[in-house]
Amino acid sequence: MRHRGAFLISAAVLLVVTLFLNLSLGAIVIPTSTILSAFLSFDRQDYAQNVVLYQRLPRALIALYVGALFASSGSVLQGLTRNPLASPATLGISAGAAAFVVGGVMLFDFGLEAQGFAALAGAILGFLASLTMARFAGLSRDPRGLSLILSGALVSMLLIGLANALLLSDPSRRADLLSWISGNINHVYADRLFSVWWLGAVSLGLLFALARPLTLMSLGREQAASAGVNVDLVTRLSLAAVMVGSGSAVAICGPIGFVGLVVPHLVRPFVGQDQRLGLPACALTGAIACLLADMVAREAFQPFVLNTGVLLDLLGGLAFLLIVKRFYLAGGEAAR
Amino acid sequence: MIRRARALDGRSVLRLGNGFQIRLHNLAAALALGLACLALAALAVSIGAQEVGLADLLRSLTGEPLDPASAYALWTVRLPRIVVGFLAGWAVALSGAVLQSLARNPLADPGLFGLNQGSMVAIMLLLVFLPAAPREIVPLAALLGGLGVGLLLIWLVGGARSGGLAILLMGLAVETVLSAITSILILYTPPETSYGLSAWLAGSLFQASWSGAAAFAPWFAVGVIGIAVFGRSLAVYDLGTDMARAIGEPVTRSRPVIFVFAVLMSSTAVSAVGPLTFLGVLAPHLAAFVSPATGRARLVLSSLMGGALVIAADGLLRGLPSTMALPIGLAITLVGVPLFMITLRLRTLRRLQAP
Repeated sequence: MRHRGAFLISAAVLLVVTLFLNLSLGAIVIPTSTILSAFLSFDRQDYAQNVVLYQRLPRALIALYVGALFASSGSVLQGLTRNPLASPATLGISAGAAAFVVGGVMLFDFGLEAQGFAALAGAILGFLASLTMARFAGLSRDPRGLSLILSGALVSMLLIGLANALLLSDPSRRADLLSWISGNINHVYADRLFSVWWLGAVSLGLLFALARPLTLMSLGREQAASAGVNVDLVTRLSLAAVMVGSGSAVAICGPIGFVGLVVPHLVRPFVGQDQRLGLPACALTGAIACLLADMVAREAFQPFVLNTGVLLDLLGGLAFLLIVKRFYLAGGEAAR
Repeated sequence: MIRRARALDGRSVLRLGNGFQIRLHNLAAALALGLACLALAALAVSIGAQEVGLADLLRSLTGEPLDPASAYALWTVRLPRIVVGFLAGWAVALSGAVLQSLARNPLADPGLFGLNQGSMVAIMLLLVFLPAAPREIVPLAALLGGLGVGLLLIWLVGGARSGGLAILLMGLAVETVLSAITSILILYTPPETSYGLSAWLAGSLFQASWSGAAAFAPWFAVGVIGIAVFGRSLAVYDLGTDMARAIGEPVTRSRPVIFVFAVLMSSTAVSAVGPLTFLGVLAPHLAAFVSPATGRARLVLSSLMGGALVIAADGLLRGLPSTMALPIGLAITLVGVPLFMITLRLRTLRRLQAP
């Protein structure tokens, strides 16, 4: 138990370090003292302090928010479906939100506020569509949940296809949305963070509160029920929290979903199955991952600034490969 | 010498002098599908903004002059579109049918296995980094990309276990990685290039032309001939590798050859019109629904069905009174996803009924 607690503490320390690194590195390197004084005694005349407060801090906060929400959503989804590939990106949540936002902007000229709600509606719809399709295709008789992931992927394909069709119909507005749809952490989206952050906070709080029953349920629904857990209620509440939380994250900066797939797998060997430790650990590690990815995307390919979402998609796809290989193809178990 | 006879299972077949035989109902279905393609093409000729139709086409064939606008609509826009669409549909459906036999997986599709994505990445890299390269090598790049992904997939999955859904997941995983590369290319190329690339990525017939069809035709012909020659073996593969070996099929030699030809077909189609995901699953299943067949008859029926589907879909899309020009690849995806789920459902049911 002690080393698990130590993981949490070191993750928190690492998060602070990455945050400072993220704030100080960039086109100009800003020393720690300037960052601290930007927070404590802000000087309007100082260029470096302005950069920290109005450019880098919003960006870092978005990365933090998005990483924490996606990672803990992924962890909860993987526990609930007992499927190692479950995550907001693979179950239609990200694609649904993206399709609805694009549709809202292209067809109805949605403003910023309405886009947030469109993202939420899309996230819910995409997820439900994936579940319905999986059930239709015979999920209940498929012990390893292959068809759940397959239907999630197909629904995502469909929704992204729709979004692309809409984008192609209007070349002039396509340019504005193109960057968003491939997942972009950028300080210009800070307004959205300020208008939806409370959704993420509520859903994260709810998930943390449900950590104990969620842990019991990951052992099996019957076992959890016999330990006095109201399985249906917990499932509904936690799914609602996941959809609202990751939907709000997509609304800010587009689909950056693979954090949700990868981080729980990274964290699990250290903290085990217990969600009471696992969820905070996932949230911290997810935030670190997004901050790091944001930094790499910004700095590693100078003079280009890469989209964080694209970079994470690349890494996440590789992780997807490894997970399929490990869980679905390893050990002479005949594939169905 | 042709005579009617009965096959071992008691169905009527036509038997040629050299031992080649074809089931009567397969032959009838092939003829019907061929006629359907012609009829659909005839309908598709008259769909569009310009008021010109089949009657004008026939008149212009007999030498009567058409007014320039109508002639342009017919000869430069609609006919190449129909021809290219038909050939591309044929190629994708054929590739899908062959892959299904090779992998012994009824859900195999060049799009879902990531082969199309591999071809696309190769083409995009070529167009972005070597814009001066001659257009003739585009299909070659597509072939190499598709083959690369195919080999990667075989290496990752291991040929023996390709029958299940796991290979589809693996294909999707490979596709995710490759599509991240595509989005990087789309994001950081100049806006016009980027728009052109993503219109083509969505699979479209907007730019179909005779010169495009001419560039596409030789590769297409090589693929069709190759599969016609080596396709005999596919009927044996459907029995399983061990059985095929027992019958005397040189599996280790013929399998790679057929695989290369299947990838050639799908990558040629990709370089001509962009990816037509799901068509490779849909067409063979619909064809089997019309008339169950084995071996090369199945390939011919599937290909005809693929061609007919693309002509019909394209005609419908042009007929839609909409300002939104939906690319054909997306239209097929929109229809394909629900139908694919139904196929999956039927597969589950069948597995439950089987002992």
